[in-house]
Amino acid sequence: MIQVTNLKKSYGSLQVLKGIDVHIHEKEVVVVIGPSGSGKSTFLRCLNMLEDFDEGDIVVDGFYLKDPKTDLNKVREEVGMVFQRFNLFPHMTVLDNITLAPMKVRKWSKEKATEKAMQLLAKVGLQDKAHVYPDSLSGGQAQRVAIARALAMEPKVMLFDEPTSALDPEMVGEVLAVMKQLAKEGMTMVVVTHEMGFAREVGDRVLFMDGGVIVEEGTPQQIFDAPQHERTKSFLSKVL
Amino acid sequence: MDFVGAYAPAHLKFLLEGFVVTLEVAFLSIFFSFLIGIVIGVLRYSRIPFLSPVLAVGVETIRNLPLLLIIFFTYFALPEVGFKLDKFYAAILALVIFESAMLSEIVRSGLNSIEKGQIEAARSSGLTYTQTLWHIVLPQALRRMVPPIVGQFISLLKDTSLAVVIALPELMNHAQIINGQNVNYVIPIFLLVAVMYFVVNYSLSLVSRKLEHKHI
Repeated sequence: MIQVTNLKKSYGSLQVLKGIDVHIHEKEVVVVIGPSGSGKSTFLRCLNMLEDFDEGDIVVDGFYLKDPKTDLNKVREEVGMVFQRFNLFPHMTVLDNITLAPMKVRKWSKEKATEKAMQLLAKVGLQDKAHVYPDSLSGGQAQRVAIARALAMEPKVMLFDEPTSALDPEMVGEVLAVMKQLAKEGMTMVVVTHEMGFAREVGDRVLFMDGGVIVEEGTPQQIFDAPQHERTKSFLSKVL
Repeated sequence: MDFVGAYAPAHLKFLLEGFVVTLEVAFLSIFFSFLIGIVIGVLRYSRIPFLSPVLAVGVETIRNLPLLLIIFFTYFALPEVGFKLDKFYAAILALVIFESAMLSEIVRSGLNSIEKGQIEAARSSGLTYTQTLWHIVLPQALRRMVPPIVGQFISLLKDTSLAVVIALPELMNHAQIINGQNVNYVIPIFLLVAVMYFVVNYSLSLVSRKLEHKHI
């Protein structure tokens, strides 16, 4: 589904990604962990070209992102993204937040988009919030709406950029539950997170990043129970 | 002071005629400078090669000139190059040139004030740049821009009085003509003129305050 080869990126003289190689398969849940500044968010944001990169190749669903002939909007139709800060559109109701892209990009009718939106709101447990504005939602509710908004495009892959990091602790669970359900339904997911419990329970594969490289990767059991590298061990000893 | 003489019906009618011209000039100028200001602001925000820098130079130049000079330019200088305008249109053109530049800066900083995350959320769902601008950035930015834009409209309405220098028959011009007849009219007439400007401008601020608190 996603093939990343020798991905490199610098901000000025600071190289943040120093050659990433990874292949993400269909229906796979890949969890990316690592300390702040390890490049994990930058890596994720390269996958839908929110960040441009300097070297290497990324192929998403058959599209070469660096190919000038590739229409990035077409790629992004298939790649949903959920952000740390939700980024709901504050001037639109919850329903309009969710139906906007399906109507404008997929050209669905208002009826079809609304029906899909209501299904998704039911799925994340927020049918009663369809007609409110985002500023009246709690953080956990806002993030569940953001997930519903991304799913409304019926993407093939979902990217999660620290989706629970801006939440009060008691709201983390409700968001993780939605993500867990999504994984169970077979969604291909790449999740950057500090939730080690989620990584262990839901991840098919865990990537540990530090200093712009993937230091170690493996199943959750391999990474959490038997880490091989010193840096992995020292990171996990601090967060577990 | 001669309030009775100053407020003779003929004088009031004359002032009102002047005020109508003031309002006509003001509202036509507001309409066109608002449209042009939005277009220039959006084009500069979009960082289009060549075009955006050229607009930046133009806007900076105009913003740093006195409006009075621009009024002289459109009324006295343009005819020299074969472009003669009636006072009414010369005043409007000068105001539109000046206010478009001011408004474009308000628009540009309003657009810049929208968080990057809003744009990323829109683009990541497949919306194009233009769709993102139209559905996400502009609606939010316009709401934030309401107070400074209305503030600019208010200064525009007041600045129409500068057209007195080209003898445009607006409110100040008519007030001066009445005052010329009798020095005892000066205070009553200026008081009335002040009230007229104040009522319109203050109503504009009230509308702006209403708009600010609305979900648009």
